Amino acid sequence: MISVRHLSKSFLSPDGHRVEVLRDVNFDIQSGEVVAIIGPSGTGKSTLLRMLNRLETPTSGDVLVNGKNILAKDYPVHQLRQKMGMVFQSFNLFNHLSVLDNVVLAPMKLLGLTREQAEQEAIEMLRKVGLAEKAHAMPTSLSGGQQQRTAIARTLAMHPDIVLFDEPTSALDPTMVGEVQGVMRTLTQEKMTMIVVTHKMRFARDISSRVLFLYDGVVLEDGTPEDIFSNPQRKETRDFVHRIRKLTFEIAGSDFDFYDMSSQIKQFCISCSMPEKMDPVTHVVEEMLVIMQQFSKSIHIEVNHSDLDRTSTVVALHRGETLSPLDRDDTDELAAMIVRGMSKSIQTELTPEGVQLTIEM
Amino acid sequence: MTTSIQQENGELVARLEGRLDTAVSAQTEKDLQPLNECQNMNIVLDCNKLEYISSSGLRIFLNILKNAKAKGGRVIITGMNADINKVFTMTGFTNLFEFR
Repeated sequence: MISVRHLSKSFLSPDGHRVEVLRDVNFDIQSGEVVAIIGPSGTGKSTLLRMLNRLETPTSGDVLVNGKNILAKDYPVHQLRQKMGMVFQSFNLFNHLSVLDNVVLAPMKLLGLTREQAEQEAIEMLRKVGLAEKAHAMPTSLSGGQQQRTAIARTLAMHPDIVLFDEPTSALDPTMVGEVQGVMRTLTQEKMTMIVVTHKMRFARDISSRVLFLYDGVVLEDGTPEDIFSNPQRKETRDFVHRIRKLTFEIAGSDFDFYDMSSQIKQFCISCSMPEKMDPVTHVVEEMLVIMQQFSKSIHIEVNHSDLDRTSTVVALHRGETLSPLDRDDTDELAAMIVRGMSKSIQTELTPEGVQLTIEM
Repeated sequence: MTTSIQQENGELVARLEGRLDTAVSAQTEKDLQPLNECQNMNIVLDCNKLEYISSSGLRIFLNILKNAKAKGGRVIITGMNADINKVFTMTGFTNLFEFR
């Protein structure tokens, strides 16, 4: 249905540097799929969505819809937008028109429906989104959730083949998110093809049949919600879906500032609302340094905390080494006992840079 | 990290206050050196205000114990908090010292 081929987008920043928003993005979307596009802020998710219906023009690459290149100069854009509806973060309703008039406007102007036909369909669409009784209300008298449901009804009134949702709930009060998500869930049951850019991980997992993880301008992972949320292959995906907060230290010699390190760990634990982890984390970091500095001076330490499951880990990379520093005969056994005693589990992994220990607290 | 040493009721009492970690262990070891020079006296390590101890701190305690035993003395620890007690338990130090 949609084929995206080698799509790239870049622009010149005010200081003259070329900023690459998207780089060589490729994917296919079949009819009936519900695709969630997730990824950190500023990674090009909305830009990608807007290029699918030509609200933005790519720097290079192709977008084929039903085999036709929509970027071709003679491609009829208005037909594309009829078949590919879009729901925006900020609703984009006409505030001087009633809910009903917002919904009938495009079908009358673009599909050539009579007022009577358009109203009949509009009422049906408003019923679908639970707003039939608000048909004659003005948008400004509605809640944010109701306005967004009106915007969805307006999009559906054009009988689109595909609906693009650009952060549809991010401008809403948390109490109103559920009603919009409920309408979108109904659409998935009707096998509507949907592409949804969202920051809501649980929602993305619940409604989508497929998830694209966009990171630094490329599709880093593409899989089922189970693949992406339960078994992500890439570290970046894992960190993102588990909402990992990080504190990192690079230690190049024995004269590093331990006072500063302790202070940063303290601040990090407080900012993650886990002051009770401050001493155990400090113990593990400090003792790992005592152990690793016996053998190597190039050490990378990360303290990670997942906001999702409230777990904390210390990752210690011992560059240039292949043996776990905890398992060596000449290790500092007292320090190793404290590391083992403070941790729930320790995983050892050999990476191209050296041996890496992931210590779960 | 601060320390003070006083003779009280025939015992040498060292009061430790703060976090005994890698950053301060060398200085703390120097500060507690007088404990290693006493003869035939019991040493009390008062940990009521000690917040944290790392392996480098444990080594200082161990050296004090070795020296005291060699000179016929005892080392008694008082007032450990839960974190320090945990560190002592996981390293087997609870079996080495006397507690009051």
